[in-house]
Amino acid sequence: MSENKVKNLIDSLKRDLLSARLINDTEKIWRQYFGDSGSIKLALKEIKNLTVAEKKIKMPLMKQLYQEALDLFKAKENLLKGDKLKSELEAGAEELNYDLPKIGHLHPITKTIREMNQLFTRLGFSIMDGPEIEEDEYCFQRLNVPFDHPARDMQDTIYIKEPNVLLRTQTSSIEARVLENYKPPFKIVSPGRVYRNENVNKSNHFIFHQYQAAAVLNEASLKDLFGVFNVLLKKMYGPEVIVRYRNKYYPEVEPGAGIDLRCFNCQGKGCPICKGIGWMEIGGAGIIHPNVMKKAGIDAKKWQGFAFGLGLDRLVMAKYNITDIRTLLGGNLGYKYYENESFI
Amino acid sequence: MKVLYSQIKELVPGLKADPKEVGEALSLTGFMMDGFDEVKFKNRRDYLIGFEVRQNRADCLGVFGLAREVAAYYGLKLKLPEVKKIAAADDPACAGGRLDIKVESEKFVKRVLAVKLAGVKNGDSPAWLKEYVGFHGINSVNLLVDLSNYVMFLTGYPSHLIDFSKVNGGIKWSLNHNFTEIKTLFGAVVSLKQDQEIIIRDDKNIIALAGLIGGQAAEIDDKTDTLIAEMAIYNRAVIRKNSRSLNIVTEASHRLEKELDPSGVQSAMELLVALIEEYSGAKAISRPFEFYPKQYVSPTIEFSPELPSQFAGIAISEEKALKIFNDLNFTVKKSGSGFLVTPPTYRQDLEFPEDLIEEVIRIHGYDKIPAKEVPKLQAAPDITPKNIVLAEKIRDILNALGFDEILSWPLTKPEDNAAANYSDWQAIAAQNSINDLYPILRQSIASGLLIQLDEYTKKNIKFIDIFEIGKVFGEQGGKYLEHESLGLMSAPKDKSLPEFKNNLETLLRSLGFSDLKYFNAKIKPALANPSSAWDIYANGKVIGIIYKLRPPESKLNVYFSEIDITLITEMLKGVKNNPAVELTQKLIYLDANIELNKNESVYKYLNQLEKKLDRKNLWALTIADIYPLPARLNDASRSGGENKTRYTIRVAYKELSDQEAKKIHLKVFDL
Repeated sequence: MSENKVKNLIDSLKRDLLSARLINDTEKIWRQYFGDSGSIKLALKEIKNLTVAEKKIKMPLMKQLYQEALDLFKAKENLLKGDKLKSELEAGAEELNYDLPKIGHLHPITKTIREMNQLFTRLGFSIMDGPEIEEDEYCFQRLNVPFDHPARDMQDTIYIKEPNVLLRTQTSSIEARVLENYKPPFKIVSPGRVYRNENVNKSNHFIFHQYQAAAVLNEASLKDLFGVFNVLLKKMYGPEVIVRYRNKYYPEVEPGAGIDLRCFNCQGKGCPICKGIGWMEIGGAGIIHPNVMKKAGIDAKKWQGFAFGLGLDRLVMAKYNITDIRTLLGGNLGYKYYENESFI
Repeated sequence: MKVLYSQIKELVPGLKADPKEVGEALSLTGFMMDGFDEVKFKNRRDYLIGFEVRQNRADCLGVFGLAREVAAYYGLKLKLPEVKKIAAADDPACAGGRLDIKVESEKFVKRVLAVKLAGVKNGDSPAWLKEYVGFHGINSVNLLVDLSNYVMFLTGYPSHLIDFSKVNGGIKWSLNHNFTEIKTLFGAVVSLKQDQEIIIRDDKNIIALAGLIGGQAAEIDDKTDTLIAEMAIYNRAVIRKNSRSLNIVTEASHRLEKELDPSGVQSAMELLVALIEEYSGAKAISRPFEFYPKQYVSPTIEFSPELPSQFAGIAISEEKALKIFNDLNFTVKKSGSGFLVTPPTYRQDLEFPEDLIEEVIRIHGYDKIPAKEVPKLQAAPDITPKNIVLAEKIRDILNALGFDEILSWPLTKPEDNAAANYSDWQAIAAQNSINDLYPILRQSIASGLLIQLDEYTKKNIKFIDIFEIGKVFGEQGGKYLEHESLGLMSAPKDKSLPEFKNNLETLLRSLGFSDLKYFNAKIKPALANPSSAWDIYANGKVIGIIYKLRPPESKLNVYFSEIDITLITEMLKGVKNNPAVELTQKLIYLDANIELNKNESVYKYLNQLEKKLDRKNLWALTIADIYPLPARLNDASRSGGENKTRYTIRVAYKELSDQEAKKIHLKVFDL
């Protein structure tokens, strides 16, 4: 066996590889040169006929030539394999479509309630609900609302069966039920729908939403209450919001508090939106009245509680740029599918 | 309640605060400033400040009361105008005869004080008085009426002036027994009810609706020469009730329906008489008439000086609390480790120790309580009911399925509610809904979703997939019932009922239900196509309904489903859903065809089939194909002439060899 013979075979291999176009061609070339009866394989087998001395000289050279031939083959094979994959991928390729996918949306009131619930559950509050058809006892009497309080008038309350069955006018009725049914300590929030017998126009509705909170603990002060409320307002309106807490009478709390935000429009200078006073009232709060605790069978000397409530609809309107309160429930609320949104 | 800054300055001489500061101070102490206007009064620049006076502070429904609050807040003295005293009713030295006045409705009247004045010269009011009543939105009538209003705005006590020459016989306060109507000062005729209203009358005519409004029978005019001025305090609940039932709300009723201090009537009447004498030249000519059977005595309330600090969460010293009581004119006596505090009679809102605590904190200032610290509240158990958690999960799943949430009115039109209802509850109507067209509390969410659908269709919105979670209501056995419900509506142009049902089923299966069946609805709402309405069964119980709506005008296919969330919350408490399975062999899928008559339920068949199969080896049971058999294949002799449908049932077996699965399959399907 001569060295030249192997070199000639490699040259032949090179030519065949050059003309190979498909991966199947390489299989044929493999059999022709490297298979059991392949020419290169057979040429190498002739080494065994050489003397030991000849083997010692020629073996490394032959190995080198064989490796060279093998590398040439592998390189071509890999190239054609890549071409095959490419053509397969091209054949199976798909285009993106440009239709807008349908996505679902939560109502702005739900989104706002969720945002608030998220905060309060982190503070250890539970979320509660109660009946919308409510008894006078839970809507008024247990909340220390005197018999002749304006909220009891036919003008304000929608009655199902006067005087005892009505549609709840405030989510405080949920607080009254929790106070009755659970032993302290408890901390609850109760978002919900309430009803008042009022004319419907751009800024008022006879159905609206409140967010109520109540906590009965071994210690609860106005400072705690204001601290909780402050966390909420910073979350809802941002860290720059300016809040004012002032004394205000509500029958169910004592001491009571009114909560105002510095007017967004005039920054407190006074404008038509805030009626010139620089503040906008957003909610009411206070330490739960001892009469309310007593009616629920809770010892007011042992337990203290605070409660607050705020209207949700105006807050939602401001947040979502809705100018007519009727939009929230009246059928005019639409959702856009292409605007970026952050989901809560 | 509107106050001129100049009035406050006059009543609180040492006041340095500017108008805005006074407004802010009263806002902090319980009287929110709700108006602030620069005005001209008596040719000088002034400020008209509006305050909200809450129901408990009848003492502040006059300028004097608010000035008293300003004085207390700044620790200054209040200086009320000094006027001539009127004689006591039983003073024998008093000149003039007795007034012929009786109070018959004693139960409802706390105090009446009346004085007769003669030599009146009525006419136009001076410019300042016209300006002043104008600030309160009242047109000037004449001098006497304007003075009466002026005194009410100053003191908070309404008065009523009666032209004595128009009175027939004596004057009485009584329940209305005979009069069917009254012509008021403003000319309106008001119908009256027997034994409802307290009236002021003479022997012939009705003179006034007590506490509400005067009548024309004895009204003051320019010719009035002799008059009776009366001030009265009533049982506030009666005034409120009459005001509401007659729909008469006046400055007088607004005050008298609150807890006004009867003892304040004396000084208010003295001011009124003094002003009438000064401006009209009249003289009081009778002994005053007085009905005042029971004088109010202020309660004595225990006060523990450490409690304001505990309630406020900041330190408020005993010394500070006592100074506040002093500034508020409270009488304080030491008692053991605490104090006994007696407020003045005009503070009828104070009853409990907590009332005193609030007084201390509000005058000390809510602005001194820091709000920036996040409180460390005592831990409490989570008592959130499961239905709230479930409703949130439902919202998320429906969102992911492309449904939009809407909220609608729970009050509906009777016809809309009737069309959507499929429950056996009776509808509930509100007795006094302001919106007469919508008196019925909805029994199904469908009514609200349909309104939304109409609006979306009108506005050319495509791909309508909407849902609402809310209460539905009804009456049963005399009980008012409500439960939380999910309503789901789709109006797809190119989708079908099965796709809608699949969305619903994705939701229900995601919640944990696995055994879902659909049978013909027992009660079909009028809205539904009766051939396409099914009750939804989960674990053997009806949890809701699914139906196609009758074709609407828009010709859209509209599908609706409703699920009782309150019910499924309870059901899901017992569901232990574990879909995780360890697989060691490949699944084996085998089909079998069955034929069912049109009135036979495939769900019922599958239910029976499932019982025959060993759940241990069952991976899935599905309907692979549905094929309504053509007439030629519908062998009448075999089927009795009924229309049949062929279903290809596909069973996926797990943990079995091919042979084992085939053996079970052949046996179960009788093949």
